[in-house]
Amino acid sequence: MKILTLIRQVPDAEARVRVTNGAVDLEGATLVMDGMDEYGVEQALRLREGGADAEIVALAVGPRRNEDALRTALAMGADRAVHVETDAVLDPISLSKVVARIAQTEGIDLVLVGGQQADWDSQALGAATAERLGWPQLTWTNGLQVQDGALTGRHDVDEGNETFTATLPAVVTTQQGLNEPRYPTLPNIMKAKKKELRKDTLDQYGVTPLVRVVGAEIQARARMNRVIDGKDPQAAAAQLLELLRNEAKVIA
Amino acid sequence: MTDVLDSAHATGVSFDLTDEQRMIVQHVRDYCRAEIAPLAAQHDRTGEFPRAQLRGLGELGLLGATIPEQWGGAGLDSVTYALCLEEIAAADASVAVIVSVQNGLPEQMLLRYGTDEQKARFLRPLASGQRIGAFCLTESHAGSDAASLRMRAERDGDDWVLTGQKAWITSGGQADTYLVMARTGGPGARGVTCFVVENGTPGLSFGKPEEKMGLHAAHTTTVGFDGVRVPDAQRVGAEGEGLVVALSSLDAGRVGIAMQALGIARAAYEHAARYALEREQFGRPIAEHQAVSFKIANMAARIEAARLVALKAAWLKDQGRRYSKEASIAKLLASDAAVEVTRDAIQVFGGNGYSREYPVERLYRDAKVTEIYEGTSEVQQMVIARQVFGEFRG
Ligand SMILES: Cc1cc2nc3c(=O)[nH]c(=O)nc-3n(C[C@H](O)[C@H](O)[C@H](O)COP(=O)(O)OP(=O)(O)OC[C@H]3O[C@@H](n4cnc5c(N)ncnc54)[C@H](O)[C@@H]3O)c2cc1C
Repeated sequence: MKILTLIRQVPDAEARVRVTNGAVDLEGATLVMDGMDEYGVEQALRLREGGADAEIVALAVGPRRNEDALRTALAMGADRAVHVETDAVLDPISLSKVVARIAQTEGIDLVLVGGQQADWDSQALGAATAERLGWPQLTWTNGLQVQDGALTGRHDVDEGNETFTATLPAVVTTQQGLNEPRYPTLPNIMKAKKKELRKDTLDQYGVTPLVRVVGAEIQARARMNRVIDGKDPQAAAAQLLELLRNEAKVIA
Repeated sequence: MTDVLDSAHATGVSFDLTDEQRMIVQHVRDYCRAEIAPLAAQHDRTGEFPRAQLRGLGELGLLGATIPEQWGGAGLDSVTYALCLEEIAAADASVAVIVSVQNGLPEQMLLRYGTDEQKARFLRPLASGQRIGAFCLTESHAGSDAASLRMRAERDGDDWVLTGQKAWITSGGQADTYLVMARTGGPGARGVTCFVVENGTPGLSFGKPEEKMGLHAAHTTTVGFDGVRVPDAQRVGAEGEGLVVALSSLDAGRVGIAMQALGIARAAYEHAARYALEREQFGRPIAEHQAVSFKIANMAARIEAARLVALKAAWLKDQGRRYSKEASIAKLLASDAAVEVTRDAIQVFGGNGYSREYPVERLYRDAKVTEIYEGTSEVQQMVIARQVFGEFRG
């Protein structure tokens, strides 16, 4: 089988974000593979290690620097990578067109995407891709196996947690708790450089963004910078209650 | 050579990391921040040996970083390894010294002087991170003057019988594989031979961990040899060559300690710079008081200068050139920088810096030993001076 795992690159949680000329400016920020996508790569590797005869293709759609995230996926163990290089900011619906097309041309059986993105927080990509392909989608999975060409697993729904089976091909979205992603070993990082990383252009997919960002602002919250001394937990809790009640007025 | 026309200066200089180096250092940094740094303060307090952290680093390949893959290592170049060590030390200096000893001393000795059989049996499990290694040279009366060591090894048929005591052995008791220098001949440097001794060999014993100023998680013990019997197949290098075997690895070890010192210094500097921007006195961040800002500037300068020399030494090693002098200069400058930077970091933190609730007092305690082990600063100056006068005398 062939597994496609979508990789996005997001600022490190500690990165300082700036806005320059009305757009988020990531110059100088440390960028990492979205944690959600690490679960996807890890799960693909585990499916293979669990006995599935799988080829794992990592895909990124975005600027040149996305190569780093793709190399990380290759270092973790993905077999090859496809980079649709573009500086355009794609909304999830436009992006899903690229993902669906690659899933078709590559003959993919399983698409793994993050349940939600750490930066723009959209949860639409998995659903939109499944819709375009007419494939089943399983969202927010926290367990996934392949048996006799079918998927089984568990996922979260509003009411709780369901166990499912589904036919392949399918789209699966990941979430925290699905697995514990591995760290790439140093020899594998070096070998990743030699694996295939194909470059496509956005034009090849006939996709143009449907949404254009015209301005951005950083949400600033004024902080009170009050630190409660925690040496005596009881006194600290009492002081916190008093502040929440009388100063912040968020509890009665 | 300090002459710029020397070939070591004349190649096209590039300070860019390769893509692989950048990726490796980034991953190691992420790993250390997530898995090692959060436990450093706790391990400093409890003195718990960082087994889990070492296992994790071993899985990444960092317990045999520069050893070829054929022998279980990761096959990295020395520059990349040096940069990784800085990352580990910035997270926890105790973990870094264990890693530095393992990579720099026992493994280098086995790689250079071990037979293929010894490499398969002893080097591979060390390089792949399954075992921890130790280096046993120092004795209570033989420190800087290592050639005065007294521990004996007597030939008995096909075996050697080791008797005596080593002192200040990093990972003593915790390590599985010990490279031991013992006297097989007359006095002086030529009478020493190197052996591999495995933990569990009858007659081998360990003192309790020394109560040190810092590096609490890196256990340091005496190692006792009471008629420890090893076959001649566990002799590393020729008879009488032991000090050559031991000292040949010291250059690599010194670059390792330089990087450890730099990692400690960098951690202190980063803490100090952030704190200086946050802490306000006299109505503005203390970073805006010149005396404080100059301290931070000085830290940046010291770290940058020492790192350049250390990386140059690592680079010379990768080129297969002599780098003894550069290794000593790097260790001298980096350890000195580490002690000064960590001391100043405490000053920037004021009273908080003196408290265990903040990390800088630990960094200061951890930094001091880098001026002592693997050759004190005075010994480094002796090495440098000897080479300088060698050059002038021609
Ligand atoms: C935490 C820790 C871990 C260690 N780990 C190991 C290990 O794993 N394996 C191992 O074999 N050893 C280890 N050592 C030992 C270490 O290498 C020695 O402590 C070091 O070589 C110095 O020797 P010494 O302590 O006997 O000091 P001494 O040699 O007694 O030196 C005392 C002072 O005199 C100075 N001095 C000595 N001779 C001269 C001279 N000719 N000219 C000028 N000044 C001189 C020194 O610089 C120093 O300031 C460790 C030590 C420590 C503290």
